[in-house]
Amino acid sequence: MRVRIGLEIHVQLSNAGTKLFCDCDSEYRGFPPNSNVCPVCLGLPGALPVPGRRPVVLALATALSMKCKIPERLVFTRKHYFYPDLPKNYQITQFEKAGGAPVCLEGELEYLDTDSWEWRSVGISRINLEEDPGRTYYEGDILRSRYAYVDYNRSGVPLLEIVTKPEIPSPRQARMLVEYLLLLLEYIGAVNPRLEGVFRVDANISVEGGERVEVKNIGSTLDLEKALKFEAKRQTAIVERGGRVERETRHWDSARGMTKPLRLKEEEADYLYFPDPDLPPVEVGKDLLSEAIGILKTTPRSLFERISSMGIRSEIAWSIVSTPPASKRFLEAEKMVSDKRLLGRMIGVDLKGELKEQGRDLHKDSAWPPAERIAELVKLVERGEYTYDTIKGLVLPKLASNPLSPIQPLLPEKVDDVKALVDEVLKRESKAVRDYLSGRGKALNYLVGQVVRAAKGKAIDPRKAREELLNKLRELEARG
Amino acid sequence: MMRQPTVHELLEAFRHGDTDPVENAHRVIENIARREGKINAYISLEDFDSVLEKAEDSRRRWMRGAARKLEGIIIGVKDNISTSFLPTTAGSRILDGYVPPFDATVVERLQKEGAIIIGKTNLDEFAMGSTGEFSAFGPTRNPWDEERVPGGSSSGSGACLAYGGCNAALGSDTGGSVRLPAAYTATVGLKPTYGLVSRYGLIPYGNSLEQISPMGLSSLDVALILQVMSGYDPLDATSLNVNPDVVPEGPADPESIRLCIPGSLVGMSDEPVKKSFYSLIDRLTGEGASVDTVEIEGVEKALPTYYTIAVAEAASNLARFEGTLYPSRGDYSGDYWRFISKSRGEGFGIEVKRRILMGVYVLSEGYRDEYYLAATKVRRIVRDELARITKKCFIATPASPVLPPKLGEALGDPLKLYAMDAYTVLANLSGLPALVVPSGFSSNLPTGVQFIGGKLTERSLLSLGMLVEELTGIRGAYAGG
Ligand SMILES: [Zn+2]
Repeated sequence: MRVRIGLEIHVQLSNAGTKLFCDCDSEYRGFPPNSNVCPVCLGLPGALPVPGRRPVVLALATALSMKCKIPERLVFTRKHYFYPDLPKNYQITQFEKAGGAPVCLEGELEYLDTDSWEWRSVGISRINLEEDPGRTYYEGDILRSRYAYVDYNRSGVPLLEIVTKPEIPSPRQARMLVEYLLLLLEYIGAVNPRLEGVFRVDANISVEGGERVEVKNIGSTLDLEKALKFEAKRQTAIVERGGRVERETRHWDSARGMTKPLRLKEEEADYLYFPDPDLPPVEVGKDLLSEAIGILKTTPRSLFERISSMGIRSEIAWSIVSTPPASKRFLEAEKMVSDKRLLGRMIGVDLKGELKEQGRDLHKDSAWPPAERIAELVKLVERGEYTYDTIKGLVLPKLASNPLSPIQPLLPEKVDDVKALVDEVLKRESKAVRDYLSGRGKALNYLVGQVVRAAKGKAIDPRKAREELLNKLRELEARG
Repeated sequence: MMRQPTVHELLEAFRHGDTDPVENAHRVIENIARREGKINAYISLEDFDSVLEKAEDSRRRWMRGAARKLEGIIIGVKDNISTSFLPTTAGSRILDGYVPPFDATVVERLQKEGAIIIGKTNLDEFAMGSTGEFSAFGPTRNPWDEERVPGGSSSGSGACLAYGGCNAALGSDTGGSVRLPAAYTATVGLKPTYGLVSRYGLIPYGNSLEQISPMGLSSLDVALILQVMSGYDPLDATSLNVNPDVVPEGPADPESIRLCIPGSLVGMSDEPVKKSFYSLIDRLTGEGASVDTVEIEGVEKALPTYYTIAVAEAASNLARFEGTLYPSRGDYSGDYWRFISKSRGEGFGIEVKRRILMGVYVLSEGYRDEYYLAATKVRRIVRDELARITKKCFIATPASPVLPPKLGEALGDPLKLYAMDAYTVLANLSGLPALVVPSGFSSNLPTGVQFIGGKLTERSLLSLGMLVEELTGIRGAYAGG
């Protein structure tokens, strides 16, 4: 049955440096409670919001990346509701229906379908730049907690609210869209997508013949796909039974893997919107725009296309692009080597795999060896000094555990006398030799394996071992 | 008329050694000790010993030639302007005991130039009022006639100036809140061009309308204070990127003065007010000033427009006071809604509640267009109209349509109360600067004249104020009592 999905994605500009309207840190995690605060983000009376340049530039860059209509002036509005962790009891946002001018109206987000390797696009209705509230903690259960603990460290963190049109065709596409979006925001230096709680998604989903259902509180891309699949299935079943899907709001219970109706019916709230008189419209001038364009130079798409154009398979190219430290290494090393495919494979498959195997944080720049080292390894293979398999099997594991090590000490000793090894094996493996001579070609592979094994960890080129074996075997054959 | 020294005179006397900051401080403290019990101009006062210590420090600075621009001048600061060293209540029980962790930009700037802040002056709760009677800390009385109000909302600032409890004062002006007290206490008040003075640290009432505003015993005093406190502040996004020289060289040349009088608007005033106003205008024309009559388009809608915008902004600004972050009388046990209802119910006074309710109403879905949006449109019309007129002349009106009312007289009728702002709100709606200087006395009660000028014409307005002072002889008026 056909489904239609729309998303409302809230993502913190965690890497903006400052909060939206003050100089406190945009990355509030790890501070003791209420220590990343100032009069402005505490909403103390008389303290005034002043838009931070970086959050505005990052929001504009995001809007530009989605080909949005960007207004000449951004206008912030106040949205009022009483909540303990909202210090002013209003949130500064950009509601366009009350005189606000959001950073984007009408745009289009392109994302990569990593199943078919095709680019798809979904309409964007708007993007708001707004402030995050603080957080309320409870001792265990909200109903049983004696106190509500309010922490304002998060209060005022810049938040983008990105709203798509309801035209995403499947839960999986929804997930890929959000994954691409987060990667894009990571590339422009706006977001660290791996921070806990850095984004949350509200989704609306409908099946043919049913009303739209909102699903709130989705905190990961995996959960997004799960929640939407669950809903699609639930709604389809209702329609197939001849029932009606009512318009409602549901809550995603991640632990139990199901959506549940919200017990409380949401009131028709009146938010008393009006333009914030403390914030004159922000002129979107040439300097702001050119700064935003500047940080948009590298997008996952442009990178992916560039890497693919070097003859690298989509899977590998994407593997590199989806890990920014890897793509950084690739772009640097690419200028130093001629075999780009080999480089792609080393970075995107084997080195990445090895780092993962060793439990390193792939997204931490310091987990990766410098590009020159990687290029050095590729060049060793290009010059035929070592085989790719030797590098992969004997060098990459060591480099992964000690990324700053120079290459030379990591290289295995080479077997200097292949002939001697071959002689030794031929002497020892008389049965296999007989087999081979009597026409069982497979025995050769066995013998090659034995020669490599006899190298006892020293580097040996299996092709050379095979060549040498064949020479000797031919001699033996001739002798009869 | 009894006189007291102006800031300008004090600075001259300090320089020449005729008197010194310690002597000045003693005189001010004496006045406070004598009058404060009855007048109630201050909500909180600095420890007098520490004031005298600072004055002594200033005295030494004058001696060694290291005096700063306002060295040793004693200033009263309206209690809605944040100070880290004294509580800041905004005249409300809900903020009783609140000490901000920061100073308002203007406070910082004044102190940096050697001014001594002696206390925080009384005001209508959150600056909402025209008489000073809505303070949670009791009304302020007018030193010229203790049965009467000193005007509001900067009631304490006007009163302490008049009785010599400070040398100069800061108020805030959202719809006339320094100009009414100036008129009722024979002092001078200037509402600067919107954005000329940083609002950082001013507890907001109507953000788009108000400015922290200087009050003094003369136009020159107001200029000297304004010069120090004005100018661009990166902490206020509405702050203008200008730093003009606002101190006039002397009184304006009367022949260069062109005045425009909105005749029908002035006609609404009570008889004694009109009389005092026109007699001053006559003296100005006698000196060579030219006078025209103008009609201001939309002026009859100015007052409701002003109140619609002010209450909308107020309702929003005051949402934050629900007891979580500020001192509250609410009981934390029980549910959140009961807690905030109790905090707000007990913390806010009647006028504040009235304006919050009106504010919520004009912003509500279904009414926003009819009230709030309509008001912003009229505001634009009035602003353009006033900008046009003030290009060619100063608009002259009485400061208030009535003489200072008796305590309790205006309280019963909010509409009558709001009508007191009929002349002053024009400057707030348009963002233009407006000066009130004494125009005379009517049966021993002070009256004031208002001049509205074009954007950033503070300097010429103040030189016109100096001219008026020459004509009336009212400068440094002292309500000795
Ligand atoms: Zn802050």
